[in-house]
Amino acid sequence: MASAGIQVVSQSRRRSLQIVGLLSGFAAGAWLGGAEAPTKLVAVGVSPLVISLAMVSGVFLARWTLPALIHGTSYVRADVRQTPHLLIWAVLAGCIWSVANTLTIFAIRDIGLSIAFPLWNSNSLLGILWGFLLFNELRQAGLRRWLGVVGGALVMFAGAVLLAMASSTQAPTGNAMRGVAAALGAGVLWGTMYIPYRKAYLTGMNPLSFVTFFTVGELGMMITLALVYTGGPGPLWQQLMITRTVLFWLLLGGFIWVVGDIFQQYAAKYIGISRGIPLSNTNQLWGLAWGVLVFGELHLGGGSVYIQVIGGSLLMAAGACAIAFSSASDREHVRWQQAAERESVRYGIDLEYVRARMYGEQGGGRKYGRTWVDWLLAGVATVIIVGFGTMAEVPQLSWHHGWAATLLAAMLVLLIGSGWALWRVTRFT
Amino acid sequence: MGRIFAAIMGTASDKTAPRGWLAMVLRDEHFWIPLVVLLGGLLVLHWIA
Repeated sequence: MASAGIQVVSQSRRRSLQIVGLLSGFAAGAWLGGAEAPTKLVAVGVSPLVISLAMVSGVFLARWTLPALIHGTSYVRADVRQTPHLLIWAVLAGCIWSVANTLTIFAIRDIGLSIAFPLWNSNSLLGILWGFLLFNELRQAGLRRWLGVVGGALVMFAGAVLLAMASSTQAPTGNAMRGVAAALGAGVLWGTMYIPYRKAYLTGMNPLSFVTFFTVGELGMMITLALVYTGGPGPLWQQLMITRTVLFWLLLGGFIWVVGDIFQQYAAKYIGISRGIPLSNTNQLWGLAWGVLVFGELHLGGGSVYIQVIGGSLLMAAGACAIAFSSASDREHVRWQQAAERESVRYGIDLEYVRARMYGEQGGGRKYGRTWVDWLLAGVATVIIVGFGTMAEVPQLSWHHGWAATLLAAMLVLLIGSGWALWRVTRFT
Repeated sequence: MGRIFAAIMGTASDKTAPRGWLAMVLRDEHFWIPLVVLLGGLLVLHWIA
């Protein structure tokens, strides 16, 4: 069963990593979806590109602060020294994310959310394809697991279509062909973005190190796009000034989004992109729960809307369960190891390091503490967020406090449970 | 041609030097898939915006 290079770890260790990966996928869905809550406090009329740029700025702050607080920048630096080539992959993935996110804005404008969302949500199906073709995922997995993962992803896709139809409140006003191209383009970009993810984690990079450099590409590309499509630095600055009272909510949304994204990265690492990405796509369910239960978005909707919401939610939950019960078999694990060995040989990385990291061990044994740089980063991020917080205005909006507290409690339970499991099993490796 | 490329970009074994790992990335056929998709995405964006 074992491949020649990497020794297989015990079945119980692999099972622990599978559970950690699954928990991370579900926590990712909750936090990625919860990130929509602060953005709902932003009134209509703000340029979508400015919204996107402000959220990505919050994302940038969080992506540098959280890794610094969890492991310290000296750990990240040492991690990058082991696999410096992954810097390019991380920046490339960040650029892809920003272009895809911008395309979704134009897609919603031209064809509406109900058509656009299912088109770009196909990214998880493309992720499964890339996982199979390039990284040996689902190879020798057996018919039952194939049906569980691919069938589960298709059922989730159908659920996503129903939820998107229920969520749609705007009539499309633009060019249909361009809108479809934008939505499909976003799906292809996001689906392909998982190639760098899997490449990094098969090679042993820590997800916290990867996101630190991912965000450089993300923010750089987003600033470039915002400058190009708002007309240059002057108009962009003007729009930022006009919206300064809501920037805090967008930064906060970006910060919450990063918590979800970090869990998504760990899910991609420990259960692969073919299982991890569809699970984290349950974020749509959470986003809708915030919209319906807290902000009363479907209050005026008819009975058919509620049927769509309930049906779509059940389908998404069923698909997620099917994927969760289709964990990788021993034979599939051997194929993952072969893919990792290929990366080790290709980039000249120590096989023992790759093996250790693949199974959630530190590899090398040296411990890295936090330094003054880490506290400085955390301090600067706090000052920036508090600064925007002092400028923020709380919009006059009716919302259901009880449901907000319930959803927040559920998110915190998932955060603490999954975070604790990740720490116990992998020490956030 | 290969030698010229290696002279410019460094060799795969020289992984600590930026030229070395850049060369390894450029030789990795997987790298071109997301790069081409990114360029395609930028073209679509330019067309629709």
